[in-house]
Amino acid sequence: MQIKFELVTYNEELDRFELDENSYQIELDDEDAETYELLKSSDLHLYNWLKESDFFLKYIKEEVYQDSENKKFAISDINGVSFIRFYFFKVTSGDSHYEYFKKLFNIHAESDWQDREDIGEEILQCLSTKRKELILELC
Amino acid sequence: MDNKYIEKMLSKMDEDLSKQGMSRREVMKLAGLSSAGLFMGATSANAAEEEKIVKSNAKGKIVIVGGGLAGMSTAARLILNLDSPDITVIEPEELSVSYQPGQTLIGAGIWDEDDIAYKRDDFVPDGVKVIKERAILFNPQENKLTTEKGQVVSYDYLILATGLQLDFERIKGLEEAGRAYSAGDNTKLLKALGDNICSVYTAEGATKTWEIMQKHIAQAKSGKKTKFVFTHPSTPVKCGGAPKKIMYLANARLKEAGARENAELTFYPNGGAMFGVPEYHDAILEQFKREDFKWHYRHNLVEVDKEKKIAVFDSKWQEKGPWDPVMKDFEVIPKHEKIRVPYDFLHITPAQLAPREIGESDLGSAKGWVPVNKETLQHIRYENVFSIGDVAQVPMGKTGGSVRKQYKVLVDNLIALMNGKTLEAKYAGYTVCPLITDIGTVMLAEFDWTVKPTPSFPLDPTVERWVFWLMKVYALKPMTMYGMLSGRA
Repeated sequence: MQIKFELVTYNEELDRFELDENSYQIELDDEDAETYELLKSSDLHLYNWLKESDFFLKYIKEEVYQDSENKKFAISDINGVSFIRFYFFKVTSGDSHYEYFKKLFNIHAESDWQDREDIGEEILQCLSTKRKELILELC
Repeated sequence: MDNKYIEKMLSKMDEDLSKQGMSRREVMKLAGLSSAGLFMGATSANAAEEEKIVKSNAKGKIVIVGGGLAGMSTAARLILNLDSPDITVIEPEELSVSYQPGQTLIGAGIWDEDDIAYKRDDFVPDGVKVIKERAILFNPQENKLTTEKGQVVSYDYLILATGLQLDFERIKGLEEAGRAYSAGDNTKLLKALGDNICSVYTAEGATKTWEIMQKHIAQAKSGKKTKFVFTHPSTPVKCGGAPKKIMYLANARLKEAGARENAELTFYPNGGAMFGVPEYHDAILEQFKREDFKWHYRHNLVEVDKEKKIAVFDSKWQEKGPWDPVMKDFEVIPKHEKIRVPYDFLHITPAQLAPREIGESDLGSAKGWVPVNKETLQHIRYENVFSIGDVAQVPMGKTGGSVRKQYKVLVDNLIALMNGKTLEAKYAGYTVCPLITDIGTVMLAEFDWTVKPTPSFPLDPTVERWVFWLMKVYALKPMTMYGMLSGRA
């Protein structure tokens, strides 16, 4: 089977992500396809599996960002599972993104008193750590 | 527990129950519990636990800043668990261990101040030294702190249990009340609040609440339409149920006086829900509808005009913003405006903050609270520092019920650290809020970080019950004062 994926590049100087407008495809062997099926409903497990797969990094090095040593990037979509919120979240982002991060970062306790601005800032703080885990670097 | 106290409590409860034509055994059966189960459970459990305690020979000088319920219970438990303890508690307040959960009952004239006033010196565990001052400077890099009289105290291990501070000063029009509170002058605080504004968040304020409440109930009884307004601020608060409990109790007293039809009771919470746990939110909403209460979410009290009796709220809402092509969603734009609300009786739950000396030290976070690992209660930067209770930056942890779970975790982890072992005890976020919904009924809201009800009893936790009222009024105080404060319950 094939998976389609999209990427964002990371500008370290500006500490900012930029959209890579291309969409890429990669062929999975049976074992990887089985793993994909197991993980597709759990977004971050799916992300980590792909991020740590040798076939994926090999494909990126050979087909996507050739001769780009030390280039930093992250995956923004895997077969329609979007990770875009991780890179472009703002305090004013839509409710679904906001609720997603509240759950992800366990920010549930103070929801009966906190302002959206407060929680949004807390999400951004947690995201700065999380983003580092998501970034891949070509060597 | 103090057996004499328990006997007195049970005899008072039996007396009240016999007026209802019931025995204690019948009440327990009604609640689906064995007669020994509820009220005496703590003592039998204690006996078993006591047998299990094997004292550790871990050594080190432990300083606890704050000798309230959290600090003193922790000291007591450390004494039970250490072979040769070296513990100092720093606490300036003579009545630091007073039973704060009783303040709502005082506010409705059910208890009085004497029922909750307990002296620090009567609860200092044997072998614990007390410095009757306030710690004002912290130097965690050198494991030292300084008290207000300049005494430098060094430590190997530090526990921060200072509690929190009320912040009336941030409400425009109540700056004088705020300054009086900061100076520790309760008389001046109450005077500055005046005859129509009250708060059960201090013991004296709770007594004043009952006085003001009676005055306004009489006004409603005389036929005059009377507006009762209750607030909940934009900061974490201790006992998040208290702002609603006092509203329920005012309602009960109005009904009792036959004055309810002339009263309008309105709740203005800063948040967007009645309770963080959906099941309890739904139950409370139904109670609000049943009792004909009004409510307006996302309103934060920012100003009071005492002369005109107007409360000014910052009202917040959200509007749909522009389409975000990257996120593939509409943005959400926060909006707000000031709303002026006339009142006759205003109950304020003030904003609450960590003590300034903590917030301004390296031990505090940007918001002042002590940043700890929420499970182990160990400071995130200083491994020999722990925090517990209201000042700890732990979600949902600002109740006596939370402290009851936290202090055992803290003691286990501190001793593990002293012995060079891994910190294995974990706090799971348990909190309990006995939400008084009437004189005689309580909904026992228990929950943890799963944000689901976690009832301790085999009963529907969203139902208001008389047996939990009995527990709130008769059992929780002895369990706290003689169970927790002895380090056992």
